[in-house]
Amino acid sequence: MSYQTGVCNFCGTGCGHLLKVNDGAVRGVFASPGHPVSRGRLCVRGWHIHELLATGDRITAPLVRKEGRFEPVSYDEAVAQAAERLSRYSGDEIGFLASPRASNEDNFLMARLARDVFHTNNIGLASDQGHGAAADVLLEGAGMPAMLGTLTEIRKAGLILVVGADITRLNPIVGSEIHLAARNGADLVTLSSRRTQIAELSRKHLWLRPGTTKTALAALAKVMIRQGGHDTEFVRNRTEGYEAFVRSLETIDLDGIEAGTGLPLAEIEDLARRLSEARSAMAFFTSGIAGLDHASVALLYDLFLAAGKIGREGCGVNPVTGVCNIVGSYDVGAGARFLPGYRRAGSPDPGQTPRELLAITPTPLKAVVVADRDEEIVRHAAKIKGLECVVYIGAYANAFTDFAHIVLPAATFAEADGTYTNAERRIQLNRRKVDPPPGVLPAWRVYADIAVRRGAARTYASAEDVMADIAASVPAYSAVTYPKLEKGFGLQWPCDAAHPEGTPRLSVEEISGKLKFVPAAADFRAPAASEAFPLLLMAGKANYFWHTNNIMKKTHIPKREYNALLLLYPKGFVEVAAADAAKIGVRDRRPVNVVSAGGSMRVAVRVSADVKPGTVYVPYFIEDMVPGFLNAFGAAVDEDQDSVIPVRIEKV
Amino acid sequence: MYILPKKESLRMIAALAEDYDLYGPVLQDVSGEPLFDRAMDPADVRLDAAITYNPPKGVLFPQSERILSYRYDRESRKASIRRDDLVRPKALVGLRSCDLNGLLCLDRFFLGQEYVDDVYLDHRKKMFIVANTCVRPFPQCFCVCTDSGPSAREGFDVNLTEAGDDYLFEAGSDKGEALAKRLGLKEAGPDASARKGRIVDASIARFDAEATENKAWISRVVNRITTGFIGNEVWEYVGDQCFECGACAFVCPTCSCFNIEDVASGEGGADRMRSWDSCSFEGYTRMAGDHNPRKPVEDRRNKRFFCKLSYTQSKKYLRPGCVGCGRCARVCPGDIGLPNVVTYIRRETTKAGTR
Repeated sequence: MSYQTGVCNFCGTGCGHLLKVNDGAVRGVFASPGHPVSRGRLCVRGWHIHELLATGDRITAPLVRKEGRFEPVSYDEAVAQAAERLSRYSGDEIGFLASPRASNEDNFLMARLARDVFHTNNIGLASDQGHGAAADVLLEGAGMPAMLGTLTEIRKAGLILVVGADITRLNPIVGSEIHLAARNGADLVTLSSRRTQIAELSRKHLWLRPGTTKTALAALAKVMIRQGGHDTEFVRNRTEGYEAFVRSLETIDLDGIEAGTGLPLAEIEDLARRLSEARSAMAFFTSGIAGLDHASVALLYDLFLAAGKIGREGCGVNPVTGVCNIVGSYDVGAGARFLPGYRRAGSPDPGQTPRELLAITPTPLKAVVVADRDEEIVRHAAKIKGLECVVYIGAYANAFTDFAHIVLPAATFAEADGTYTNAERRIQLNRRKVDPPPGVLPAWRVYADIAVRRGAARTYASAEDVMADIAASVPAYSAVTYPKLEKGFGLQWPCDAAHPEGTPRLSVEEISGKLKFVPAAADFRAPAASEAFPLLLMAGKANYFWHTNNIMKKTHIPKREYNALLLLYPKGFVEVAAADAAKIGVRDRRPVNVVSAGGSMRVAVRVSADVKPGTVYVPYFIEDMVPGFLNAFGAAVDEDQDSVIPVRIEKV
Repeated sequence: MYILPKKESLRMIAALAEDYDLYGPVLQDVSGEPLFDRAMDPADVRLDAAITYNPPKGVLFPQSERILSYRYDRESRKASIRRDDLVRPKALVGLRSCDLNGLLCLDRFFLGQEYVDDVYLDHRKKMFIVANTCVRPFPQCFCVCTDSGPSAREGFDVNLTEAGDDYLFEAGSDKGEALAKRLGLKEAGPDASARKGRIVDASIARFDAEATENKAWISRVVNRITTGFIGNEVWEYVGDQCFECGACAFVCPTCSCFNIEDVASGEGGADRMRSWDSCSFEGYTRMAGDHNPRKPVEDRRNKRFFCKLSYTQSKKYLRPGCVGCGRCARVCPGDIGLPNVVTYIRRETTKAGTR
């Protein structure tokens, strides 16, 4: 049998796959029919993961920069130099940028290296803002800082609400489960400011004015409560903080709701009624790459809590992660501001992520350890170039390696044992299937070796040994072992003495305390268009974004598909409705200036039916347009996906 | 026809393994699901396994394959081209009839036209095929609607049909006859053909009750698809549900489209890689100058079903391009496996009739 079971390494769905291994190399991939989440399906990325694993474009030897040039050195020398040079920095001079696609074992030891050896809490994932907000809200409200429901119960949901996410592109198999649930009778509603495939497939697309997600969610809650549609018994017996939540909705003006959000009150009333009458309901939104902000997640959670749609079968508020191990990275303490097991980091201070430290001018950061990423490079290339010490640890060369002083190669997910935790908290084991290039080690081993150089006592014999340490440090992993993981298709945390086989979803029957309504502290003001800036610009990464494209560019077919778009719009584009394009007097692919109060950029027009007149959309991940876009609009789009910038478009 | 006692089937497979690389239905260690794959041990081949999750086409047309490599030497200014030796005798044991029909479609595409594909031919040379009659259908099957089962009629060296404690062993070639002689099999007697006929009929009779996942009366839509008399709203309904993953093509026993990419292997060398491709991808039909005759997803889906079900295309395959295996319906993230699309088209024609 040349097919070996494993877990796809792209998005947070965690689909099962079978890697075809012949003659010591990965030659193909097939969907894994028995996997409980993916049930024999994969997306376009998953069907081509063998192309990535076959790339010759690898880092295969440790490198140290000497007089501006990389020179190959022995592994021991690279480790010694990294340990010595990093030890010169302290406090906010040093930061650790972990990879959300790395294994729990890798990230756990990177976090230990940061905290135990270099005594800093400055660690983050770059794409952690969205998930951080979701984790915060769900931890505070329900004590479970990740998806409250489970992907395997999507087909049991009576109503499914998708908020914002282009989910059939970002997490296609989650999108598939939602679509198939709708085919079998689930009531599917999408709430978004842009038309997406899942919006097309929904019974109802509530097409919001950009920037008003919070307002719409608050209005939904207010309407439902006014209708008496909240679950009074559930709220009384199972929750606390309801009165404060109701009071917080007082400022929502339902008479002005259509003027504000673009949604007629009747449609909000209809959805509120359907939500309260549904036998069960799930909400999905993207976390990680470009998700909802804290207030939006809190309002969505509170809405579902009031409706009694949490902690029951087919129910849940479900953040879906865009990269395979964002949840696991948080679990083991590599996300911002959380120690392993979601204890709040506090001593000596809660720490800042490298992203936050780089945003400060001048940045206090002098040294950074980076694993397998290049997202920050486009934002802060100049500052990273000016750092005294950049240590890059990863499998593939990318833009970061150009700025690195020390480079250490690492094994891919197919070359090392490791666990990955998907969006529904499912911890899954990927076994080593092929040998790494000679001398290349798993990243966790590299971190452990650097730690030993700085005097750490603990060493690890294997990834399994690292997992034993994780189980000792993370309560929700305390009953996780490799033999248990190996037997089936993973374990959903919490997996502890009380739940030795894991916990598919939050269950109200099991909660001793009460579920809490989470105060949203929302600012409901949304930027408005004006005569000078008549269009509302949304910026997103959702469509066409296939993770760090650095990875997708190493495949053949997905690269071709991505390039098909880039060839048409090599410098990026702004999506404009046909009516607006006619008003401006431009055709598809003509250059325009997009002007805001803060600056301007030149891009091509893409006439699209996916945006409404009066709104325009910019996919700001396209590398060439990122510097221009961020220079013009940087601060305004830094916070979350729902940020909106009033602009005008000028013909050139 | 001969009799192969079931308990001797391993002896047959072992005999083939002496002369051939062995491929067949093998059970995956964790999921237990059957996959068509290389069997290192004759005992791993499971003739009793359900239809394999992957089609056997990967044996002749791998998902990703180096078809040649070349190197340019700067100093001598010479280029050298090297081809891997792919001619290894292969025995495909336990092929279901649908998959054998799929393989014959691949033959007609790669070998049966004005251009003969050398790489495919190398894989196909010296092949021994043991087909396996489906004495009962699987839930996903509809080969009775596509004239490709439940028992193979051509293209095999041996066709096995389970009959009680025995297999009826039908030789389809001289090689098959030779194997029967070598194993010393008994003649099955004059009523063997009738007995096999009864077994196949019984299998067909079970489709209604057991093959419940898919019903695809493809003959009803061939005319419509060939002439294009299908409303655009049907294709849009299909296109809206396409996730553009390519899976339908990858699991299809007859899909033969491929992509070629030259991958640098360092020091002036490169590998020419051939890989599975799919008409669901926008980049698949994009031409120089950014012209794309099939840019919207519904036009690309339209193309797929034209390829599978039109008369025009059937003339090339000498049969419909669909063999009724039901795999596309199982892997589709949308709900547009071929049987469902046939239903959507029929639903439209029915509606048109009542207008």
